[in-house]
Amino acid sequence: MDVNRRDVLKVLLGGTAVTAIAGSTAHVAKAEPDTIQPLDDAVGLLYDATKCIGCRACMPACENANGLVPDRGSSHGLYMQPEALNSQTKNLIKLHVAADGHERSFIKQQCMHCVDPACVSGCPMQALHKEPHGVVGWDPGLCIGCRYCQIACPFNIPKFEWYRVNPKIVKCELCRHIVGKTASQPACTKVCPTHAVIYGKRSDLFAEAHRRIQEKPGYYFEDRVYGETEGGGTQCLILAHVDYSKIGLPKMGPQSNASRVRRVTNVIYQGFLTPVVIYGGLVATIRDR
Amino acid sequence: MTEEWEKCIRLKEPLVTRPFKALLGLAGFAMLLGILREVSGLGYVTGLNDGYAWGLFKNWNVTALTALGSGGYAVAVMAWIFNDRKFHPIMRTAVLTSLVGYGTGMLALGFDVGRPWNFIHILNPKTRNHHSVLLEVAVCMTAYVILALNFENMPPFLERMYKSGDPERSDRALKIFHYMQKSFPFWIALAFVLPSMHQSSLGSLMFLAGDRVHPLWQTARLPLLYLLMAYILGFACVLLVLILCTYVWRLGWDGAILGRLAVVMSWLTLWWLVIQFVDLAYRGVFEMAFTFDRYSIVFLLQTILLLIPAQALQIESVRSKPGNLLRLTLVLIIGGLLYRFTPTSIAFIPLGNYTYFPSAIEILMSVGFTALAVVIFLFAVKRFAILPASQGKIAAEAAIRPFDTL
Amino acid sequence: MRDDLSLPVPPTVRPGLDRRTFLRVVAQATAAIGLTSSMAAKVVAAVEKGVRPSVIWLHFQECTGCTETSLRTSHPGLAEVLFDLISLDYHETLMAAAGHQAEEALESAIRKNAGKFILVVEGAVPTKENGIYMQVAQKTGLDIVKHVAASAGAIVAIGSCASWGGVPSAEPNPTGASGINKILEGKMVVTLPGCPANPYILLGTLLQFVALGKLPELDELGRPKFAYGRTIHEHCPRRAHFDSGRFAEEFGDEGHRLGYCLYKLGCKGPSTHASCSTLQFCEVVDAWPIGLGHPCFGCTEQAVAFRVPMLKPGEIVRPTPFSTYAPVAAPQGFINPLATAVGGLIGGALLGAGWMASRGMKEKPDSPPHTPPPNQNPDSPDKA
Repeated sequence: MDVNRRDVLKVLLGGTAVTAIAGSTAHVAKAEPDTIQPLDDAVGLLYDATKCIGCRACMPACENANGLVPDRGSSHGLYMQPEALNSQTKNLIKLHVAADGHERSFIKQQCMHCVDPACVSGCPMQALHKEPHGVVGWDPGLCIGCRYCQIACPFNIPKFEWYRVNPKIVKCELCRHIVGKTASQPACTKVCPTHAVIYGKRSDLFAEAHRRIQEKPGYYFEDRVYGETEGGGTQCLILAHVDYSKIGLPKMGPQSNASRVRRVTNVIYQGFLTPVVIYGGLVATIRDR
Repeated sequence: MTEEWEKCIRLKEPLVTRPFKALLGLAGFAMLLGILREVSGLGYVTGLNDGYAWGLFKNWNVTALTALGSGGYAVAVMAWIFNDRKFHPIMRTAVLTSLVGYGTGMLALGFDVGRPWNFIHILNPKTRNHHSVLLEVAVCMTAYVILALNFENMPPFLERMYKSGDPERSDRALKIFHYMQKSFPFWIALAFVLPSMHQSSLGSLMFLAGDRVHPLWQTARLPLLYLLMAYILGFACVLLVLILCTYVWRLGWDGAILGRLAVVMSWLTLWWLVIQFVDLAYRGVFEMAFTFDRYSIVFLLQTILLLIPAQALQIESVRSKPGNLLRLTLVLIIGGLLYRFTPTSIAFIPLGNYTYFPSAIEILMSVGFTALAVVIFLFAVKRFAILPASQGKIAAEAAIRPFDTL
Repeated sequence: MRDDLSLPVPPTVRPGLDRRTFLRVVAQATAAIGLTSSMAAKVVAAVEKGVRPSVIWLHFQECTGCTETSLRTSHPGLAEVLFDLISLDYHETLMAAAGHQAEEALESAIRKNAGKFILVVEGAVPTKENGIYMQVAQKTGLDIVKHVAASAGAIVAIGSCASWGGVPSAEPNPTGASGINKILEGKMVVTLPGCPANPYILLGTLLQFVALGKLPELDELGRPKFAYGRTIHEHCPRRAHFDSGRFAEEFGDEGHRLGYCLYKLGCKGPSTHASCSTLQFCEVVDAWPIGLGHPCFGCTEQAVAFRVPMLKPGEIVRPTPFSTYAPVAAPQGFINPLATAVGGLIGGALLGAGWMASRGMKEKPDSPPHTPPPNQNPDSPDKA
């Protein structure tokens, strides 16, 4: 009896330790690489806030191209006036004004199409998934509406249709329903009069961003482009002359949250090895009782 | 006659009392509101928004209440794995609280998801995302309820079938019971592995949110803390239920069992607190607990609500007084639930400037689901032999209805 | 002949009109309606070949405003149009003939140019009681239009009346006035709504037909996209005022005098497809309703004109952003006071109940029958 109890304790402690604190151990054998690299043909946007004049032609263009009903906000039906991205607004221009009124910058908010998206990692059904060219798309045929993606996204992008019985998750998908078919670029980049936002391969956009930084050293914030490494990198890049965190772009390290979670899930669920082992051990010891 | 609990009895008290009617009313009302939610949409019945996409249903009914519903799991560990035979009389109560806790939790989850018709795709391995912690939680919880919890709750039902007087039914009951005895280890092992996995995964869920969870709560130790807290709250819930039942129906005060539960619970809580504070120091955010901003105050409140009962219950003279035991258990439950509830809600800081408070309908639905759990519990203990009773209670019951064997 | 190209005085017709003048006229005409210079060359070529398309112009339930407005063009002027560009074979207002002569002219024009002439229709056609409410030479309008349209090469409905019924079709529409596209089901009808229609739109359509042998690109209602592709709102000179929220609230107030947006006075610009904001009328700057300080009443749109009260603000179909911007972190969500009350009540009730329950507990609970509690248990809790 005593021997069995000791065995049980060993199995229990070992099992609990592995199951519950796996995430905190650093020396875990990794079955797959931790960081995901951007695809060679990844596409994205480069938004240069210093070129944006705030005309917002991109907003009605996006609404039209995506068949969205404009959010008229509190304007009594007169204007398109969303306060934030929402289920009727996939793309939004906002204005940052510093308290002293001297520092101003526009910012275009839309899905950043991360290289290693947290939403894709968290979605239990692969409803949010990576499409060709790295575009993050949403599949209505798989989504269960759990809204984990809203919890996961560091930019707070996926929006939910709260007031519908058949609710969708709404976010920019780089016009993947028309690009390559009836259009060569997304609606927002097509109408931008100053080419503040441009579309292209991520590698090309990078080269362009770095070229601009080198051309005007000290002009762009910290001489860097946002999205190069943030959270594992994003395919939509931002250049601005103000602190990125002031225009709604959070400070993030180079490791994506998704890769952190993968370490945990890989350890536990690598073929379900650990749970099966514990299970087997328990069955044996209980049976012996 | 001693007051020790000897065996499980079926309560003969009438089912439909005033409190029962009130709870049933609440539960029924919640179901009606649930229908309202189904025909109109989440936005109309809840206060959820794009910043706080998870509200009362997910954070309270699922995350917090299933921790309370881990009584079956926690006591099972003691009774069947550590083989502490003393706990056998309360096993049925414990697994019943688990069943109703998890059951109503899953019910709330069913009302909360926006597109439930796509759940069928969970069966297809090609469309599942095996990297998703939420998938693990969903599959594991469902498997636990369908397999392990139902198995564990069969005995009282089978017993009633057996004693029903109908030979065919008795036969069937016996056959099922024999099968259960033979396959017992498999099911019980499942009843350990599954909840370990999903209770800790409920904590891992917030890994993905990264910096959006306040540093006082965001840690790589989240799964461990959540799992331990599930144990603690499981014990606490069983303790609470037993104390209340003892008082209401005079089951007899088994100081030994209750005391032992309280002691194990208090030690686990103290260890939990140690782990949490060591983790804080290790991550270098210890000072954050004392800045006295909103988060720090919640954190300190949670700590105090856990620490005071844990310390107090260590003292024998304190925990032997029923009033104290009840009060301290309640305080500990509040503290524990506060912990389980906080990382996804109070400590969750979405980008932007979002405020969330549950709407009145949301609160009523959530309370109604909890009331439903209580209703089912009451129904079960008055129909099946679940609650433990002392000799005195057994004798009293026999005196009232001498010919009822069950 | 004048040499400058600004406002040529229409020359009287004479054979042997000098070529330079003629070319100039054609160039101005095609430029005025947005055709390229290569089109001008085609028009010239067509005219030189002696091809002046035949045009038959019918009148029905109308005020003749569209004819009147067509007379008031200068590049090209009516004379150039009539004598150099088209052959107007039947027009009740302008022709000299009357009576049987007129009817014979119509029939012979139809016979001679069957399948090639352009039919221009002005005015709605009544349909109630077999169309007896409009008759010419004892033939109903219905019969006339069907008979002539049967041999037409192209059909153009000028003005709102011919396009969708116009004024005669306003409630209660006692004559059953209808646009001719409904009457000529199955035939392609170019509709040029407006009350009156802008004459240059007609000219543009005709010239394009002459130059290219086909009609301009049309929308789903048969309106040429080059004129009706945008709403007034999308090309209004007062748009900046709208976007910034500067409105005239009453006729004659400060905002009205400053030329602010007339939306609140009932302007239907946002739901009206027309080109008045760019073409204007009578070749006088700002000679159009909004330019004169009166809200547009949507004369081209069947759903708006003569249906929605003139001074009632219309619907904005394709809204665009206001001139101010939302801050980066605009506040979202709110705390419902009722919910806080409910939550507080329930929480308080539960806590209160718990407290009362614990207060009601004596040292040890009663258990029937009451026996002194056992002192020690082998597995005493304080073993841990």
